Amino acid sequence: MGETIVEVKQLNKTYPDGTVALKNINIKAYKGEFIVIIGPSGAGKSTFLRSINRLSEPTGGEILFMGKDIVKAGKRDLRKIRRNIGMIFQGFNLVKRLPTVRNVLHGKLGYMSSVKGAFGLFDQKDVEEALDILKRVGLEDQAFKRADELSGGQQQRVAIARAINQTPQLILADEPIASLDPNSSRVVMDYLQKACREEGFTTFVNLHQVDFAKEYADRIIGIKDGEVFFDGTASQLTDETIEALYSKEKTKKQEAVV
Amino acid sequence: MMKNNRHMEKKKVQNTIFTVLAFAFFIFSMLQLDIVPERLMRSFERLTYIFGNMFPPKLNEPIDVFGAAIESIQVAILGTIIGILVSFFLAVFAAKNLTPFKPLSFAIKSFAGFVRAVPALIWALLFIVAVGLGPTPGVLALAINSIGMLVKVYAEALEEIDMGVVEALESAGASKVQVILQGVIPSMLSAFIAWSLFRLDVNIRYSAILGVVGAGGIGWELVKAAQMSRYDEALMVTIVIFLMVMSAEVISEFMKKRANAATAQALK
Amino acid sequence: MKAASIQTDREGHKPPTKDLYSEYRKRKKILFKSQATVFGVITLLALWSLWGTGFNPLSIVTGTYDMFVFMFTDLFPPDFSAIGSLIGPALDTLYMSYVGMVISVLFSLVLGVLAADFLTPHPIIAAISKGITAFLRSVPAVVWAIILVAGIGLGPLTGTIAIGLSGIGILGKAYAEVLNSMDRDQIEGVRATGASWLQVMGQAVWPQFKAGFVSWSLYKLDMNIREAAILGLVGAGGLGYYLQSSISLFQYKTAAMAILMIFALILLVEFVTAKLRERIL
Ligand SMILES: Nc1ncnc2c1ncn2[C@@H]1O[C@H](COP(=O)(O)OP(=O)(O)O)[C@@H](O)[C@H]1O
Ligand SMILES: [Mg+2]
Repeated sequence: MGETIVEVKQLNKTYPDGTVALKNINIKAYKGEFIVIIGPSGAGKSTFLRSINRLSEPTGGEILFMGKDIVKAGKRDLRKIRRNIGMIFQGFNLVKRLPTVRNVLHGKLGYMSSVKGAFGLFDQKDVEEALDILKRVGLEDQAFKRADELSGGQQQRVAIARAINQTPQLILADEPIASLDPNSSRVVMDYLQKACREEGFTTFVNLHQVDFAKEYADRIIGIKDGEVFFDGTASQLTDETIEALYSKEKTKKQEAVV
Repeated sequence: MMKNNRHMEKKKVQNTIFTVLAFAFFIFSMLQLDIVPERLMRSFERLTYIFGNMFPPKLNEPIDVFGAAIESIQVAILGTIIGILVSFFLAVFAAKNLTPFKPLSFAIKSFAGFVRAVPALIWALLFIVAVGLGPTPGVLALAINSIGMLVKVYAEALEEIDMGVVEALESAGASKVQVILQGVIPSMLSAFIAWSLFRLDVNIRYSAILGVVGAGGIGWELVKAAQMSRYDEALMVTIVIFLMVMSAEVISEFMKKRANAATAQALK
Repeated sequence: MKAASIQTDREGHKPPTKDLYSEYRKRKKILFKSQATVFGVITLLALWSLWGTGFNPLSIVTGTYDMFVFMFTDLFPPDFSAIGSLIGPALDTLYMSYVGMVISVLFSLVLGVLAADFLTPHPIIAAISKGITAFLRSVPAVVWAIILVAGIGLGPLTGTIAIGLSGIGILGKAYAEVLNSMDRDQIEGVRATGASWLQVMGQAVWPQFKAGFVSWSLYKLDMNIREAAILGLVGAGGLGYYLQSSISLFQYKTAAMAILMIFALILLVEFVTAKLRERIL
């Protein structure tokens, strides 16, 4: 095992309305791991990912990222931590009426002074880098089109490019292929995996397709009712475990040893 | 089916009652306002006389009138620019999805609602008392009246943006200002431009009449001409006002098209 | 499969990044130019207007401050004992708005039908009708009021006619648009049965026209209250007149009460028209 990138300790999240979304989550992720999180809808997968970069505030526990506790970080530190964590969303979340390349450049905002970034004064180096990354996701021909003129799969690749441009240590992808057709899904997953292999960043991907999970993951984590239900490799994930994970009844955890 | 029919019947009866009531209220209002046939006849005679005196329309002091028309336009421009700047700033705090503090959003929206409910001309009247005669109260009245409307529509446009974009930029480590300038404004830009131009159009209309209460511009020329019974001149001023308002409409329509074309060109 | 999909994506012409960068620069320049033009024009207009009006930007601050002072020392608290004498003008404002609306509805119906593409007896008549509405729309009601005050004197009749006239501008256009957007097939269908003009209007046109007609007319009533309230400022009766005279007599607390009344009247009418709209539609 390589260096530890994230260590989640006793993470809890209760929403203001009383919904308990996460219960005592403990997960350690190492450099370069491609981790797929599966589980029934409402299990807390999104909440888990969003707690890591604090789009959703944890109500208890620690998240150590490169040794620093994210949960305790102040506003300034949080900005610095966030720029090292790329996030990819189900809905792509690109600025629709801006050109593709500008959306990729947005990955650099966290590294720029507030004013320079706000007015979009990107250096030549930044722009060339962004264009380079676009080329790597096969979208150089679309660099100057409005983001919303691209197909769903292409938009998600732009979002991946934006995340890569952050030069992150960690990527969080929340259902990145849930609104794509099977073909584009595969292309997007390929690019995501390739990027992680090449850059060596650690990746958490929420998926609801178990077959995709088995195909791509180095490691699979199953979450059920806000708890870690399974944690192991694809081969350790048996059909019974899958069935229990997705079944309505409460079943005993069957954590595999990593 | 039966029930539906009965419902239709009921609606028909109800609407007949409404129509009768509406008519009765019309007659009643006419009587209350003392609008009776003989008065109408007398007024009609007067009006034909005035109408006859309106033609041909002419200007005794054309320079004054055109100067005043230009002043009206300038008052409208300033009122609009100030209104837009202040409104956008306030709208960011008024939009429920962006405000740092919910009660603040409520406070700003209520303030805008109050401001909006007081007509522009009344604001002008109040500002004249507060700051004196001339174009200054006119500018301020238009600015505040614009704020009443623009805060509302800008805030609505902001509330409609995709919050996912905001989340995406925040999760990339962008600061608040960066999120607003790089993510929020581009997402609402067309609504922003459309509303701002619409407001310019409205303000030019208002600026033409502000002079009526003494807040600068062409309105005063009209009052003068009418009070001195120079109906030909009054008609001419009216025509100038008409041209002003018309061209404002045409120009703002044109600018909207230009703005869209310019962005389209850069994104081709 | 996996590899293949990537390959197809990476196939074909691939310009080097340097070229893409110069393309980026070119586009940025175009965008910058048009943005600079827009901001330049706005700045020039602003400067021209500042120069022309002698408006001091500082007065945004001082004016707001003066307004606050004026509100809290002179306007506040409103003189509630004036309510009694305000009821009459308030009712006048209401009557003016209503009669004004009815007048504009009647004339606009005629002008709207004449201007609608498929109901007009002749395209030239349609054009004339559109011209009249456009003219009436572009001249503010206050302008009519000023001319009419000079002609037929002070009072609510003046205000009523002014409101009616400018209303025709708005409703005439609105009605014509509603009529034009109707489903023609339905009308042709009824026509094909050999129905008379009146029957066509009643059976095919009215049912489709009703919703637009009701909401536009009620909307106009809402607008008229505001309009009527300010027409008084030039002597056309109602609350505005009362407001104007109390301000010129320096009775600011009474004026504040009149403003409150206008406020209340606007809200009341908005509430009633909203209810009516719900009931009728
Ligand atoms: N903003 C929220 N407020 C309250 N409850 C929420 C909120 N977001 C999610 N939840 C609840 O938290 C639980 C976990 O949700 P989520 O993390 O979205 O699950 P998943 O992504 O696995 O489908 C669900 O019961 C959901 O209803
Ligand atoms: Mg989810």
